[in-house]
Amino acid sequence: MKTRHELITDSEFTGRRSLTSVITRVSGRGARLLTAGLIMLLYSTSLLARELPQDPLDSIMWQSMADRFMPDGQVVFDERVKVMAPLSAENQFHVPVTVDASQLDDVKKIVVVADLNPIPLVMTMRPEKALSYIGFRLKLQQTSPIHVGVLTGDGVWRVGYAIVDAAGGGCSAPAAAHGTSNWMKTLGQTRALASRVDAGNARMTLRMKHPMDTGLAPGIPAFYLNELLVRNGAGDTVAEIDLYEPVSENPTLTLRPRVGSEAETLIVSTRDTEGNEFDFPLTIPASTDL
Amino acid sequence: MKISRVSAVPHSRARRKALQWFAAGCGCAVCGSLHARFLDFDLSAVEIASKTWAVLGSNEYFTMENGGNIVNVAFIEVPDGVVVIDSGPSKRFGDALRLLIEKTLPGKPILRVYNTHHHPDHFLGNQSFDASIIAAPQKVIDNIALEGNGFADNMYRLLGDWMRGTLPVAPTLALDANTEDVGGRKFSLFYLSGHTSSDLVIRDDETGVLFCGDLAFLYRAPTTPHADIATWRQTLVTLGNIDKSLLLPGHGPSDSKEQAISQTADYIDWLHGGISDAVSQGLTMNEAMLLPIPARFEGLGVVRTEYERSVVHLYPALEDELFPLIELRR
Repeated sequence: MKTRHELITDSEFTGRRSLTSVITRVSGRGARLLTAGLIMLLYSTSLLARELPQDPLDSIMWQSMADRFMPDGQVVFDERVKVMAPLSAENQFHVPVTVDASQLDDVKKIVVVADLNPIPLVMTMRPEKALSYIGFRLKLQQTSPIHVGVLTGDGVWRVGYAIVDAAGGGCSAPAAAHGTSNWMKTLGQTRALASRVDAGNARMTLRMKHPMDTGLAPGIPAFYLNELLVRNGAGDTVAEIDLYEPVSENPTLTLRPRVGSEAETLIVSTRDTEGNEFDFPLTIPASTDL
Repeated sequence: MKISRVSAVPHSRARRKALQWFAAGCGCAVCGSLHARFLDFDLSAVEIASKTWAVLGSNEYFTMENGGNIVNVAFIEVPDGVVVIDSGPSKRFGDALRLLIEKTLPGKPILRVYNTHHHPDHFLGNQSFDASIIAAPQKVIDNIALEGNGFADNMYRLLGDWMRGTLPVAPTLALDANTEDVGGRKFSLFYLSGHTSSDLVIRDDETGVLFCGDLAFLYRAPTTPHADIATWRQTLVTLGNIDKSLLLPGHGPSDSKEQAISQTADYIDWLHGGISDAVSQGLTMNEAMLLPIPARFEGLGVVRTEYERSVVHLYPALEDELFPLIELRR
């Protein structure tokens, strides 16, 4: 059995040493075993830790963003993940972002994070019968890097990025809806546009009335559209999207579904955090109608 | 003894200043003098008509280099004093404008300051003037009360120390008459809108100079954060029909050939048409921002930047107008 002193000197890192010594002092032998286990665990996780590439934007949150939202698997920066965003946000409540990873094959998941937002996770998307592409708008609490991780079938996260200069407060001010007396009446009201690009591709934009409350404005609890599923006529998933608090009020999303040459009716199903469901069909014209 | 004590004061001040530069990482003489120049507006007045001076800003967006001096302001010598049109982007600018007026027209009292509209580059210099002589339509006053603080915050963010000490000051005189006599000179007042929800146009009836605020731009891309394009288009027709000898746009040189009105109309027509097309095609804002700008607008200052800003301004309303309403299945 090692003495407390030996145990301390065995430990290489100051942080671990003090933790060890505190626990050992408090509860004797059982704790010593636990501590040894803890040390092994710490060592093993640090051995398994991924080698993260240097962030071109030098975001202080990069390590944390990768650990939290792109767990497991190799991480590489990849130019094929295009993130379009303005250098400066004209409106911190509506910052337009378009992600285009359509040059990548076998995309399983797209994750969008705004590193310096109080709630960094913006959305995730799983494209099935759709290009790895999505257009949307987000709220920024301050100037922030935006990282987009695209998980491909080989288990690699391919990352693109942009940085947007912004005035403050995009996430903590009440939604504009709260300035009107009857926003509940128009909740879920949807406008949408669907068009065919060519024989195999369509483009759809939907715009839905929803306050997308972050929960960070005083006295207004979080309330936002959080699920969006697009299916085709055969019931196959076209794309599945999870939305989070930073998505802008009245979410406006652009997708590029893959379709056949015949006219096709897509079914869009959405749901918010209060369980309200809003579903609607959207018809892509046949390519012969072009 | 006395003498040395007096001279010690500026001495220690100079040293403190030097230490400040040092602390800011600007210990070298070059940086020091650069900074000193940096925060000083070098305003000059151009006599655009008899006893009428314009202070012309650059055709740029707000930058740390220009300090926000991107706007046209003007002053007119009337029999009993001076009339000022717009006060600039900051207290520092307002102070510099006052000095320039005093230098140009020594001893003449400032009788009236007009604010053409509530955008920050046109009214944040109000603080340098006696609030009791600052006048604007009621709607401009309301807009300043509503948005002035937000504008000031953003201007501090964009311009930093150039804005030091600036606070939004709303005009105290609400205008509603069609003419006003100021210091022995008659001015015609036109209550218009389009660039914002309230745009004041002022004509000096003696010289015929028309001060348009930002309803007209010349060789500088028009801005649209509060624009209603259809109304603005109508207003430009109205402006064209007003008798005038010369027009001073809010940004760009003075204009005797009605170029500012036709150029602004041409630009906002294209802007509205082009962005409507992009919305109808389902392009995202980011994709719309990449669309080409016609060659005839290439000479307009900061046109790409302003076009990108306008995409953000105009898209949401056009989406609501052009996307069909979908019936939900419950």
